[in-house]
Amino acid sequence: MGKNVLLVDDSSTMRKIVGRSLRQAGIEFDNIFEAADGLEALEVLEKEKVDIVLSDINMPNMDGIAFLREKATRDAIKNIPVLMISTETGDDIIGEAKSLGALGAIKKPFTPDKVNEVLGPLL
Amino acid sequence: MDISAQIVESTHEIFSSMVMMEVALHGVVRDSMAPLTDSITGVIGLAGTHKGVLAIHFPETVAMAITGSFLGMDVDEINEDVEDAVGELANMLGGSVKAILSANGKDISLSLPSVIAGKSYDFQPTQDVERVVVPFTCDAGEFVVELELEK
Repeated sequence: MGKNVLLVDDSSTMRKIVGRSLRQAGIEFDNIFEAADGLEALEVLEKEKVDIVLSDINMPNMDGIAFLREKATRDAIKNIPVLMISTETGDDIIGEAKSLGALGAIKKPFTPDKVNEVLGPLL
Repeated sequence: MDISAQIVESTHEIFSSMVMMEVALHGVVRDSMAPLTDSITGVIGLAGTHKGVLAIHFPETVAMAITGSFLGMDVDEINEDVEDAVGELANMLGGSVKAILSANGKDISLSLPSVIAGKSYDFQPTQDVERVVVPFTCDAGEFVVELELEK
């Protein structure tokens, strides 16, 4: 069975660009699910089989940090890996994300090569 | 490196990697700007050790061309895609400026981006601020990035 990814970003443009970058990086997924904030992301994770989540941090309704915190409390989804993709790359906020289970972070702006470098080894 | 040079560098990096478009400084960095016509502006607020506003101003035609390049599709009106793309460009520039002004950006918070569009509007600070207005050119036309910081 192939792999599925969930892209979480309040910007629909950015979700499309991340999807395009995955293809340009040669990383193929069977399904690319999308969510506009942490709340939507939790709903998708509860319903769909997702192998990895790529999530923004600054989002309305539920930001990326609150999403990680809530996800960690739900047994059915807490072990699904998450990689942050954000303009936020300060040590403190990325450190907080990692303490809540995030595997790492890709800084916006990014290139397909950077996506491949960080995401490739995780798949 | 002064802040305007760093804005040029950050803008170049964002456009070349995300929009697949080369941009270059076009003319002289200023501290004022004329009213805008048939334009769209992406705005993001900065709070913390540095308080202010970062904005990116596009003529509508340039915003449509850039969004088309961003998304890899034809765009012929100011729609939600254009507003979203302009807001995201402001967001990424805000992230870069935040990291320039504060080590790792840890002492500055960014607002969520907003977009303004209209036939004619004036984007002016209401207080005495340090203002840097940086003009750019690209294949699609000219645009402006500006930073206003509380003195």
